[in-house]
Amino acid sequence: MSAADAVACFVHPGAVLGMGGQNVGRCPMVLTHEIIRQRLGGLTVVGCNLSIAMDQLVAAGLVARTICGSGNLERFGTTFCWRRAIEAGTLEVHDYSHLAMVTRFLAGEMGVPFMPTRSLLGSDLLCAGAASASLDAAAGPAGAVRRPIVIDDPWAPGEPVVLMPALLPDVSIVHVQRADPMGNLVIEGFATHEPEMIRASRHVIVSCEELIPTDEIRAHPEQTTIPFMHVSAVVPQPYGAYPTSTYRYYDFDAPHVAAYQEAARAGAEAATRYLETHVWGCAGFDDHLARAAGRERLQALTQAMRELV
Amino acid sequence: MGESREAAYSRQELMVIEAARHVRDGDVVFVGTGLPLLATTLAQRLHAPNVVCVIESGVIAPLVRPTPVSVSDPKVMFRAVRLGTLREVLGCLLQRGLIDLGFIGGAQIDRFGNINSTQIGPPGAMRRRLPGSGGGNDMASHCRRLLIITRHERRRFPERCDYITSPGFLDGPGARRRAGLGAEFAVTVVTDLAVLDHDPATCALRIAKLMPGITVEAVRAETGFRPDTAPDAGVVGLPAAEELRVLRDEVDPARVYLKEEEPVPGSRR
Repeated sequence: MSAADAVACFVHPGAVLGMGGQNVGRCPMVLTHEIIRQRLGGLTVVGCNLSIAMDQLVAAGLVARTICGSGNLERFGTTFCWRRAIEAGTLEVHDYSHLAMVTRFLAGEMGVPFMPTRSLLGSDLLCAGAASASLDAAAGPAGAVRRPIVIDDPWAPGEPVVLMPALLPDVSIVHVQRADPMGNLVIEGFATHEPEMIRASRHVIVSCEELIPTDEIRAHPEQTTIPFMHVSAVVPQPYGAYPTSTYRYYDFDAPHVAAYQEAARAGAEAATRYLETHVWGCAGFDDHLARAAGRERLQALTQAMRELV
Repeated sequence: MGESREAAYSRQELMVIEAARHVRDGDVVFVGTGLPLLATTLAQRLHAPNVVCVIESGVIAPLVRPTPVSVSDPKVMFRAVRLGTLREVLGCLLQRGLIDLGFIGGAQIDRFGNINSTQIGPPGAMRRRLPGSGGGNDMASHCRRLLIITRHERRRFPERCDYITSPGFLDGPGARRRAGLGAEFAVTVVTDLAVLDHDPATCALRIAKLMPGITVEAVRAETGFRPDTAPDAGVVGLPAAEELRVLRDEVDPARVYLKEEEPVPGSRR
């Protein structure tokens, strides 16, 4: 399926959007660009670390709320559009730790309403939730805005545990190394929160570096990370995570990440100009790759990764 | 000539070297990138060859190549024994109690070692949004020892954090236990002015060691609360030539994180 068709089919305005990737690794850029191209707004973006993909959605004015553990790009700085929107009061943010977010997805994928953790205890991540409990009453998509609750361990009175409400994204977007037309996924290398998030989601759109025959999946079924039942659409797109990295395929493009960060930091106008150039002004993701990097640069990033794996 | 140049060191270099000295051989260390990873890999190459690194993105026991800039940088994954998931490292190792030492950062660290990486200004009156917890809250909740490297500036050491992202000793003695957190817990803060640790009786941060040439008054002037001095407080040892060599030549040769700073006065003998 094309990115345009998959996004048009499964991403709706106001959706709870699960975001794959982490920092400068395997961010689902082709699918993010397509959401920006189709200007699907009012999104609740959920994940663990949200980075450049989320920030570009914010830059495009499409995000109403984030539910996450962090927003940043480490050495490349914070997610500037996200920070600006929060400080301006135009973006609602629900803060968790990364383990707390994984625990929410874990409840979702297991089909149970909540899952306990011992993270968050004593911290303001917990108290802030309780203080804004009125949010819970608001009609939130998919129960995503529910807040954690502290109870005593039923088997050990006096020992508090935190119940994390299940989080079931309406649709998640993920970029992986390999997939077959059925929707079986092979994720190589670090997998972040994706396995739990994917299995918790109602729909999942996957872009992949390589589309492989189902026979190849069936020949090595132990290598399948996610079976097809969890996947709604597969979009083949080489370099689909650019400018972030894809393990075993290519390294991240530091100068291009830095260029986006410079625009994002400069302000809304510069960020919009970036999107004009790299998304709205491009015929598609291949056009963006050609303009932003070019064949030689992409091959150099592939070579850089080969030296590390 | 060459030898005297080696003896010169920056405050930042000694901060990393001193932090490395707090990493014990055999420690399983939960670590992100930046100065903490420099300190951990420095320790690994010096006194602690059996240190095991666990990186939040799901990386277990890598042989880190210099110099990763992200937990998703392939350099941080080099020859790992397992590239897994956040649940495996944050849940099955960290929350499960299998991590000895966690390296954590934050914009504010208060008297009781609580850490703020969420926002400057209290809830409802935010002045600056920060990245958020990441795995920080999980580390502070589940590690037995926390190690923090930070510049020593007054605004970074308030009496009380604007927002407690990651729990230190919360309100003081007994508070962690009351909140449901593990009681076995220690905090060490290595700064460019001093090493702070917690007083076992009061749980408050105190001056454990001074950086060479720094006075107690200088530390207090840059601290938003008044830290006591530990009874056995001493001075941080000068960097050994080998510590400086490994840090500069092997751990961060491109000086991605090590800044070109003026050497500490008097260190250029």
